[in-house]
Amino acid sequence: MIANEEGLRRLMRLSQGGDKQAYAILLEQCGAWLARYYRQKIAPDAIDDLVQETLMSLHRKRASYDPSRPFLPWLAAIARYRWVDRLRQGYRNEADSIDNHDPSEDSHEEVVAAKISIDRLLDLIPASQSDAIRCMKIEGLSIAETCQRTGQSQALVKVNIHRGLKRLSALVESE
Amino acid sequence: MKQGFSLDDLVHDLEPVRPFNMVRAIASVGAILAAAAALIILSKGMRADVMAGDPEPMFLIRAGLLLLLGGGCGWAVLSMASPAVGKQGQSWKMALAAAALFPLAALVVAMTGRIEVAMSNMRYGLDCMAFSGIGGLATAIPMVLSLRRGAPTNPERAGWLTGVAAGGLGAFAYGLHCPFNDVVYIGVWYSLAVGVCALLGRLIVPRLIRW
Repeated sequence: MIANEEGLRRLMRLSQGGDKQAYAILLEQCGAWLARYYRQKIAPDAIDDLVQETLMSLHRKRASYDPSRPFLPWLAAIARYRWVDRLRQGYRNEADSIDNHDPSEDSHEEVVAAKISIDRLLDLIPASQSDAIRCMKIEGLSIAETCQRTGQSQALVKVNIHRGLKRLSALVESE
Repeated sequence: MKQGFSLDDLVHDLEPVRPFNMVRAIASVGAILAAAAALIILSKGMRADVMAGDPEPMFLIRAGLLLLLGGGCGWAVLSMASPAVGKQGQSWKMALAAAALFPLAALVVAMTGRIEVAMSNMRYGLDCMAFSGIGGLATAIPMVLSLRRGAPTNPERAGWLTGVAAGGLGAFAYGLHCPFNDVVYIGVWYSLAVGVCALLGRLIVPRLIRW
């Protein structure tokens, strides 16, 4: 079953009240949603870890959700924060390829999904910075390969990644 | 897969929580601000014109701008406790722009040489900074507690804004006592008070709220 906004919102409200059954369903559905959300945005073998980290953040920060507001934009903000945090930790992807699955194909709410996606976040920073981040931090290319792919010097790649990650962390809540 | 991670553990660990509520958060900051203002009035006394019910226009403008600054930035800080994509408010920028009026006006007037009030009352100016800072610290506490309980996604900005909001509200509270109406005095000493609070907020708050 694919989670929708209304259903997740109701489950979260119940979970905040201590309903363990609702919480178990919520975590399961959020886990599936996050796995789709992160697909193509980090190496496939790192998705599980990132989903788990985000679910733990959801657990620790569940009181920060305001039940009068939509749920998915809140979850997406938590997910983006964890994603940027993971990139900043200097994660290096060792996988060779990334599959071509489009997360929006699984969702009934494509418009909302597009607005809260990580692609949208990457579109908000200059192309030179997002290109460097995509190559090195998401696809796991070496610095030499990144230089070749982007046409940037090594120093510029490092500067662009540093500045890009800083800007991404400032833009986590941007549409 | 992380070792020791289990959805069942999270479910087992679940306790009821009180969800974030903006009205309650604003009320807690407002209550602290009222208490800080009352303490300043009790300890230092209220401005004579305000006490007489005939406030000077400069007092009204100063108090209004400081409330706008503290309120606008405080609102932004409390909003950051409950994040959401698409929610990023920009009201604090307007508040900051409006509050820049005093330092800019002070600069223009100071260039004409009318700086004697601000310079000859340095002792009062330092008092203004100290009491604004203490009042600001008090109002910063509920803001930081809300951020710690919440999930701010930009701790650095939250730090800056907490400092500016606290400085603005603290200066507003002290302004109920401060008898000076000179624009250079206000531009120098009140701006310094807010600026120092902003800097302290940036240095201290992010360490307290990172998650």
